[in-house]
Amino acid sequence: MNTLSRIIQIAGRECRILVFKNPIYLFCMVLIPITVIMFMTTLLSAGQVEELPVGVVDQDNTSTSRQLIRKLDSFQTSQVVGHYANVNDARNAIQRGEIYAFLFIPEGTTGGLSLSHQPKISFYYNNAYLTAGSNTFRDLKTVATLGSAGVGQQKLSAIGKTEHEILAYLQPISVDTHLLNNPWSSYNIYLTTTMAPGLLMLMMFLISAYSIGTELKFGTSHEWMLMADGDPIVAVIGKMIPQTIVFLLVFYGFEFYIYYVLDFPHPGGVWAILLLGFVAVVSSQSFGVFLFGLAPSLRMSMTMCSLLAMLGFSMSGCTFPVFAMDGALQLLSWIFPLRHYFIIYQTNIFNGFPLVYAWPHWTMLIIFMILPFFVMRNIYRAMMVYKYIP
Amino acid sequence: MNFEKIKRIFREGIHDMAVVWANEMKMTVKDEAVLIFFVLAPLAYPLVYSWIYNNEVVRDVPVAVVDYSHSAESREFIRLCDASPDVKVAYHCMSLTEARNLVGLHQVNGVLWFPSDFDTNINRGDQAHVSLFCDMSMMLSYKAIYQTVQAVSSKMGSEIQLSRSSGFTDRDDEVTLRPLDFDEVPIFNPSGGYGSFLLPAVLILVIQQTLLLGIGLAAGTNRENNRYGELIPIDRHYRGLFRIVMGKALCYFMIYAVVAAYLTLVLPKLFHFPMLSSPQALIGLLVPYLLACIFFGITLSCLVRYRENVMLLVVVTSLPFLFIAGLSWPSESIPAFWKGVSWLIPSTFGMNGFVAVNSMGATLQDISTEYFALWAQSLIYFFTSCLFYKVQIDRAIRQQNVENP
Repeated sequence: MNTLSRIIQIAGRECRILVFKNPIYLFCMVLIPITVIMFMTTLLSAGQVEELPVGVVDQDNTSTSRQLIRKLDSFQTSQVVGHYANVNDARNAIQRGEIYAFLFIPEGTTGGLSLSHQPKISFYYNNAYLTAGSNTFRDLKTVATLGSAGVGQQKLSAIGKTEHEILAYLQPISVDTHLLNNPWSSYNIYLTTTMAPGLLMLMMFLISAYSIGTELKFGTSHEWMLMADGDPIVAVIGKMIPQTIVFLLVFYGFEFYIYYVLDFPHPGGVWAILLLGFVAVVSSQSFGVFLFGLAPSLRMSMTMCSLLAMLGFSMSGCTFPVFAMDGALQLLSWIFPLRHYFIIYQTNIFNGFPLVYAWPHWTMLIIFMILPFFVMRNIYRAMMVYKYIP
Repeated sequence: MNFEKIKRIFREGIHDMAVVWANEMKMTVKDEAVLIFFVLAPLAYPLVYSWIYNNEVVRDVPVAVVDYSHSAESREFIRLCDASPDVKVAYHCMSLTEARNLVGLHQVNGVLWFPSDFDTNINRGDQAHVSLFCDMSMMLSYKAIYQTVQAVSSKMGSEIQLSRSSGFTDRDDEVTLRPLDFDEVPIFNPSGGYGSFLLPAVLILVIQQTLLLGIGLAAGTNRENNRYGELIPIDRHYRGLFRIVMGKALCYFMIYAVVAAYLTLVLPKLFHFPMLSSPQALIGLLVPYLLACIFFGITLSCLVRYRENVMLLVVVTSLPFLFIAGLSWPSESIPAFWKGVSWLIPSTFGMNGFVAVNSMGATLQDISTEYFALWAQSLIYFFTSCLFYKVQIDRAIRQQNVENP
């Protein structure tokens, strides 16, 4: 029997395992990924945070202070939900989690304004919730600045300046910000595109290690190796092919959904998307197989897969940039497949640069694909000699 | 007669519970995998996370500058940006194409472009424009660049305003520039550090996830070692429902009392994360949280067939559980359905409660919602674990009857 027919035979055997023998496979390879994808995309479907609850301590209580509060309420990100008698009450409300920030307007603010005493207002925001904190901060700062600008505008128009002159006086330098490829600064586009593939890749690591390890556990490893005529490469390839097909279908389904149904920006085009999908799936599987080869026990390899995959979310640098981490960690980030996925995604798909701009990361993913060949002997020995130890 | 009987049942119950507890303890210590998740993971994992986020803030984000103005004004703007803590001017480019190339090569995260009329506009009293192009693939570096450029433009703007104003004294100018002064106060987590924001929540999540994994693995082992693939051994001590559940829970609770103390007291101290918790609030929160997690874990463990399946099912939930709690994505923006799901999970209330207690110095009264929710979850999951174990005990009894009719 030649190699190809052996591979097909083993693949056929694997299909039976996936579909009939152990229901956990389809559950983990199809159902969980679909749930995860739906979870991320619906959770972040708003894209931007909206209507965060903020409070006000208005001890001035004049039409001017109320105007400021109305302005704050009218912002998209903030919503005034509470009026508090003093700063202490408002702080308690933050601690109870009712509001994320508050504006404090002390007594005499309006009076001070008309007397040119330069009164002072303050705003307090809570960075213990970082996203909410920085969003409310932006609104509150705008309101506070507008408070000043409003007074200046009144004065200047009173002495007969035109609108154009007033604008040039109040804001001599204006910054035109261009948010490249994600002008809505949508968190859905920002996070889903890395976190969801990260979760899919986590499942691929685990399933690859699990499917080889369970051969040992259920005592079918000899049978499997014999079918491959003792060639571990044939055995592993035959076993992986059906899984690759399922994973690829799920992964391409995910990419189709976000890029063509939800219309996430993808100036890199369809070929980059397809190529990255394929490389991501196969390198993740290889990574799982490699870890099993390193520690040929079901439990240890799965533990390692879990720990590395979970760290991968942080080490991808999607949330906290890798260049801001410790030097040693910057080096270490190279062993995480998700790190490379993230860089390739943002370079070649999100920003639409040619593939060669991320070539070190493509290379790394291809190296991950080759890694299993170095541990084939280990896998063979484990399958033929070792016993399952729980 | 009744009193004696109750006393006997009570004494027997305590005894059985202790036996279950002792068996569970022995198994935990002997089983390497369970030990990894109960001890090693909670011990080492948070250390790695703390290391990753220990720099807290993003400094010196590189930007490229394309200066078509070549004027004193544009150079001052560039100098001020470079001097700011968060931004570093890494490259001066001749054209936007060249700068764009640097974005593609990951050398810079943003591009500042000064049009040729930048200084002309300033000097003739018009509004000058500067363009900022931001790579949006990392929100933190975008935020650093955006806020710095805004701050620099408003600082330079006020200097220009000052030169144009016609007050008699410096104080006049000050008031004209800023008739309404303001203070910005970051009331909690004042440095705005990423680690100080994320780590407390992660620590609490680690407690729940390692408990789920450990309990599930232990249950899987029980099932696999059992001759009939059942969860409960055939043993006279494993007859009473509450005895089994309480005995197991006691074992996990004892281990995790230590783990939780390490995570909430030692680790934040080591890495200088905020620590404002009072003992009452901390204990008041952690006791129901641990109980809720344990019974949640026991309930889930009844559904597991093979020990390794636990890992397949639990590990992938960690990230969604973090998101669903409303920390990195505010709970106001979470769709109602997922909010409902989040109420089923102890970590949602645990994380929010702990962030309030630890990072914001809240008292137990302040987190009464979380407190009562966790007790409610403990009760509910206690009953579900009893329910599932009832089924298991009945099966074990049936097996025994088949064996010795």
